[in-house]
Parts: sequence; C-alpha cells; structure tokens
Amino acid sequence: MAKVLIAETSYLVRKGLVSLLEQTEGVAELKAAGHPDTIVQTIKEYNPDILLLNSAIQLPISHNELTSILHSKARIIYIINTPLPEDSPSHQISVFDTKNKLTEKISYHLKQYETTEEKEEAEDLTPREKLILKHVALGFTNKEIATKLFISTHTVISHRKNITRKLDIKTVSGLTVYSLINGIIKMEDIQ
Amino acid sequence: MHINPTTKMSDLVQSDFELLAVLQRLKIPFGFKEKSIKTVCQEQNIDLNFFLNLARWYHERDFFPGETLMNHPVKWLVKYLRSTHSCYIDYHIPRIEEDIVRMESLDQSGGHNMQLMLKFFREYIAEFTTHIQLGEEKIFPYILNLEENLYKEKPDAEFLKTARGYTIKDFLEEHSDIEEKLLDLRNILLKYLAPPSDNCLFTNVLIEIFRLGNDLNDHTILEESVLIPQVIKLEEAFHNKFTLQ
Ligand SMILES: [Fe+2]
Repeated sequence: MAKVLIAETSYLVRKGLVSLLEQTEGVAELKAAGHPDTIVQTIKEYNPDILLLNSAIQLPISHNELTSILHSKARIIYIINTPLPEDSPSHQISVFDTKNKLTEKISYHLKQYETTEEKEEAEDLTPREKLILKHVALGFTNKEIATKLFISTHTVISHRKNITRKLDIKTVSGLTVYSLINGIIKMEDIQ
Repeated sequence: MHINPTTKMSDLVQSDFELLAVLQRLKIPFGFKEKSIKTVCQEQNIDLNFFLNLARWYHERDFFPGETLMNHPVKWLVKYLRSTHSCYIDYHIPRIEEDIVRMESLDQSGGHNMQLMLKFFREYIAEFTTHIQLGEEKIFPYILNLEENLYKEKPDAEFLKTARGYTIKDFLEEHSDIEEKLLDLRNILLKYLAPPSDNCLFTNVLIEIFRLGNDLNDHTILEESVLIPQVIKLEEAFHNKFTLQ
C-alpha cells in the first residue's frame, strides 16, 4: 500500500485525481497540495511513496533536490497539461487522458511500488545497517563513521537513508532511543 | 459546510469542533447564544475576513492560506501565532510530559524504556522552548517593528539601523524543525515499545502526540508559507520607501 501525494495547482484536475484515486486499489493514504510553496513542505512532512506532480509547476527547489527529499523507493508521475501520444511512458499522464488510461498508468506504479516495498519491508536492518546505526547512536558523525569503517561518506549517508526509511526515525536522538530499546547500544555506552 | 458571515458561531463549532482551537487562539470567549460569526467578531474586535479566512482554511483545507491570509496586517497573524505558542507551552507540552511521567511510574517491566521516552521528550521540550524564545524575543518584535515603521513618515533611527543589517531570511536559518523529534517519538511509541500496563493512558498519550503533531504542521505552514513571505514583502516595501533612495 502506498502513500500518494497529488501536487497540482488546477482545482478541477486535483479534485478529479483525488476522486479517481479514492477508488483505486493500493492507495493507503492520499493527500493533495495545490500551491507551489506548500508542496515542498508537504513532501517533507508527508514523505509520499508516489508523487503526482504537474510538470508545469515551478517548484522552489531543483529536480535533484526534489529527488533527494523523496525516499529512495518513491516514484514520480508527471501530470502533463497537453495531450500525449498513444505510446507515452507510464510515468506521464495527461489531463486529456481517459479514466481507463489514467487508472492503468497509476495502478502500474502502485503495483511496482508494492512489489519493491514488500521485498524491502520483509527484512529488518541488515547487519551492515545495524553497525552503522550503532555508530550513529553513539554520536559519531558521518565522516567519523566512514573513516572507522573504511567506507566513503557517501555510502554512510545512503545507509543512513535506508535506516531512516526502514525505521521511520529521522533524528539522531530518536535513533539513539531505538538502539537502546533494542539493545544495539547500552546505557553505559553513552554516559 | 460553507462558512459565511451569517453562520451562527455555535453551528460552526458543532460542524467542526477542531475549530475551537482557532477560537481559543483568537481569545474569543464562549457563550455565543444565537450570535452569528459577524456579530461575535464585531464584539471581539476581530476582523471578519481574517477570521473567515483562517476558519475556512482550517475547515476546508483546499487552498493555500497565503493567498488570502497575507492580505491582512501582519500583527494579527503574529498575535495568533503567539497565542498558539503559549497554548503549546502552557498546556499541550506539559500535559504530554505529565502523562509520560505517569507512564514511567506505572511501568513495571523493570526496563528503562519509559525513562528513555521521558528523557527524549524533555530534550524535545528544550528544543521547542528555543524555537518559541527565538520567535518571542527576536522574530516577532522585529516583524511588529517593521510593519509599524513602514507606515511612518520617517522610520525610527534605531530600527532603520536594524533593518539595514537584517532580513527575516537570517531568522529562517535558526528556525529549527520542531516536528521531526515529535514524529520520531510518535513512531517509537507506536512501533517499537512493548505494550505498557495502562493501555488507556498509553493510547491517550499517543492521541495527544498525534494532535500536537497535526497542529504543529498547520503552525509551520502559517509561519513559513504565510508569515515569512508576507514579511519579505514588507521588507521590500520598507527598503523601497526608506533605504533605496
Ligand atoms: Fe512557531
């Protein structure tokens, strides 16, 4: 099941998509944002799995920044304000598309998301991730962890992203509490 | 329901009791009898449109509040945000803290989990207090001064000096994310803690945390998407009028 966010300035299109998605299988939660300024904030807060974004919207952040605030399994479907050719890619929908076409494309992504999600969610943290988590909880910075474990800072960051996504915990103190509860570190370690 | 000036205040609350929070923050007293929104606002000296825009946004949620709320004097919004802050600090936060303290005292598992939660929440309170102090001591006074001076013939010399070296954008950097930790607390309680002895208390703490989280989200939207852009506009107007001649 996926969390879907509709980012669309047109009131009519937004409402239309909301009512379509309410009847679509695989949607766990649905939210809509209608103004460029609130969209980014909503993405950060809501952390959607699927983002339906009108391609004409000028976001205050770049495309790269956008993908970096989305989690790694998240998918973007673009809403296009012009008609699309018959063989348009599945990650583009047009405001002119028929109900069938829209459902087909959106359902495709919902299914794709579900399969990747189930595979991932079924497993706990990997031993590697646990090791990284332990170091984070002990208060080491990304750079220190990289040096200690002979890996690049980039790798540490990508492990941390996965840890946060799997556990749903973002802050260092939150990760520390989790580690204490689950015996990954001990009280004495941090005193 | 569509909210309009002739809607009875009591009907409004009955149709959406979450709006009570808005009334409280505007310090509107109860005892509405059959009075309309318009009459209540008049009596309480609250701008009717400001009230309608706020209430509609909270109720309907389907538009960006900036478009409508930005057109009012900024001091009204500041007043609203201030009373929201005190609501958090004086009521919501201490209540959650008390409940966690109670959970800790009832915890017979022999572990330290509740103690950890309490420590975590107290860290959060410290962060939260910093956020509020920054608003109360620096940001809000600056904004009120800015608006006041903008409409003067000549701005106060002292404020002019401040305005030359300052912009609201500097504050934004210090403006920390006050929701992240609360979300973490919520997720840890929800997903990773063994069920405690008193379920009623535990559930209630969770409900309170969810409520506060939602409310903070609205609060952040008001601060970051209405207040700040509005202040940036005021700053531009101020500099056009006084410093860029
Ligand atoms: Fe605030």
